[in-house]
Amino acid sequence: MEIALCRIDDRLIHGQIVTMWSKECSCNRILVVNDEVYNDTIRKTLLIQIAPPGIKAHVLSIEKALEAYNNPNYNDFKALLLVTNPSDVLKLIEGGLNIKTVNIGGMSFKEGKKQITPAVYVDEKDIEALKKLHERGIELELRRVSTDIKVDMMTKI
Amino acid sequence: MIAIVVGTHGNLSKELLKASEMIIGQQHNVEAVTFQLGESIEDLTLRYEETLSNLDTSEGVLFIVDLFGGSPYNAASLVAIKQEKMDIITGVNLPMLIKAFVSRKTSSLEEVIKASEISGREGIKQFKENFSLVEEEEL
Repeated sequence: MEIALCRIDDRLIHGQIVTMWSKECSCNRILVVNDEVYNDTIRKTLLIQIAPPGIKAHVLSIEKALEAYNNPNYNDFKALLLVTNPSDVLKLIEGGLNIKTVNIGGMSFKEGKKQITPAVYVDEKDIEALKKLHERGIELELRRVSTDIKVDMMTKI
Repeated sequence: MIAIVVGTHGNLSKELLKASEMIIGQQHNVEAVTFQLGESIEDLTLRYEETLSNLDTSEGVLFIVDLFGGSPYNAASLVAIKQEKMDIITGVNLPMLIKAFVSRKTSSLEEVIKASEISGREGIKQFKENFSLVEEEEL
């Protein structure tokens, strides 16, 4: 399986993904990786339903995602990987996922999070995970839409 | 790149433009024209003409308006009828507008209109009917 794009976006599949990113990265699958959503049948079905024409969407737990990643049956997958937070990306990478870049698109406001850009808020746990990703040499680029100019996340935290 | 003029009743055009930029980022060579209570077709026609003078119209102009037969359409038709490389599409919605923005970089005016019309139509879905057809494929 090839990872065409790994994006942190807690709205998961939405307008920007359907109209732009899925085309931009020419993926043939969208893999939503989130333990909570994986166990929520309704949210899962709602997400699968909005996949753009010609692209199949799957909702996986972190464990399932790593299994699928290593499964040769899915070698022809060109996946857009969507996760909600940097800690989950770290878990995937610690589990063997091989990526060089993480796009940070949207992390919504929650009590106790500080604003980084109009679309991105982080807390201590997020920052810690981002630092660990950075230490591993992974590029962390802030971009809401693909035509935005890349901003290095590390200069913002 | 084809110029786009979004024309609607009230401030819808301005907000539609903002909404589409939330999704696909900032757009250039585009103007939103509003039509307010108390304005005449002449006012609106004049405003369209002023708007066009601020745009690069060399590759053509597409008016995207809300309602077939409404004033934003009627005024646009008065402008477009005189020009070969200008056309109007009605029934603006977000899928239509986004498609117009994305496709105009590489397509002719006719192709942009066709693609926008298809996206506008295909953007209309009924939730429950759609939902019952969803099948999950296990990995």
